[in-house]
Amino acid sequence: MFKTIEDYLHALKSEMNDADPALVQDALADAREHLTLAVEAAKEKQPDGDPSEVLNRIMDEYGTPEETANAYREVERRTSPALKPTVKSRSIFAKFFGVYADSRAWGALLYMLIAFVTGVFYFTWAVTGLSLSISFAIFIFGLPFALLFLLSVRGLALLEGRLVEALLGIRMPRRPLFSHQGMKWLDRLKALLTDKATWLMLVYMIVQFVLGILYFVVMVTWIALSLSFMALPFIQLVWKIPVIVFGDQPRILPMWELILFSISGFLSLTVFVHVAKGVGQLHGKLAKWMLVSE
Amino acid sequence: MVELGSATKKFQKELNAGTSSLVLLAVLNRSGEPLYGYQIAKMLEESGPDIPMMKQGALYPVLRSLEENGLLESMVEPSVSGPPRRYYKITKDGRTALEEWTELWKQTKKFVDTTLKG
Repeated sequence: MFKTIEDYLHALKSEMNDADPALVQDALADAREHLTLAVEAAKEKQPDGDPSEVLNRIMDEYGTPEETANAYREVERRTSPALKPTVKSRSIFAKFFGVYADSRAWGALLYMLIAFVTGVFYFTWAVTGLSLSISFAIFIFGLPFALLFLLSVRGLALLEGRLVEALLGIRMPRRPLFSHQGMKWLDRLKALLTDKATWLMLVYMIVQFVLGILYFVVMVTWIALSLSFMALPFIQLVWKIPVIVFGDQPRILPMWELILFSISGFLSLTVFVHVAKGVGQLHGKLAKWMLVSE
Repeated sequence: MVELGSATKKFQKELNAGTSSLVLLAVLNRSGEPLYGYQIAKMLEESGPDIPMMKQGALYPVLRSLEENGLLESMVEPSVSGPPRRYYKITKDGRTALEEWTELWKQTKKFVDTTLKG
């Protein structure tokens, strides 16, 4: 049997090594909450009980790591993940234009828009927090400040994960990562500082700034260009505004050119929705790699 | 604890797959206030049979899947000692589901009982 809760969690983690990392993080959070509470309750009931015996009984009631891992796997298999793509064999034509009916594509577009706002916020938060933490380090309150900042980074990482899962359909943790419980806060700060996950989250917050701006600019430019191509016939035929001007000479486009512009605008818009969907998937992979601790 | 054969174990697992959701919804509906996993496990232990129907660890994934389906909602409350606790509460959809499931369960139980009696 296991001597400590951490041992049990470790065994559970290795038992779930083939499962989705996000699911593993949830399972660990649940087990940690339950086992800690059960041990506390047992201590209150029988203050002089043999600790290892109590722990063994509690873990037996909770289930072996293998049983627990199976329970999570079973439920995850039964519940279909959000926005699961439906696999249908369709013609290339239907595949190309079918993207407009794909909720993931719309989710990705929305995410690219939101990434601009969140990117600016994360960047400001990370840079302000980091520089204040470093400069406050000479004061007594500097270390608690740094601890609070690093914990806020974890909180933001969870929030970003929820956003990524909702909009991009990539499975992300649904429980916060609370390790190093019950330590003294100074030890906790040390543990947070030496944890690779903390730094990856911070880097993500800074990278998101660059990506957010890039997504936003590309998105606005591409969509604006496509829509204006599509609108050319209306502008020229309905409002009589010449759309192309060489020097002082306005050029009135013939009908077939207008239609060609209009069609190419629509095609370019469709291509962009595909691009957005692909970028969304790539970004989801990046988020998963940087925000989900192994 | 009584050792169960592998076929019996499998049967119990399949039974639990359906009934655990119903039981959890019922517990949360009756309590009227949000409960966290450990409290629910304790309540089930007190009212349950001598041989536990399922391990306590298996409750959590079910709670989570019920939440994902909108039948429960949850919120995290930090605690002074130890990790934060996740409190679960039944939703309006959850209550509707509970009513329908209870009716289904009654019918199933009646059907199984009658068949077993022969």
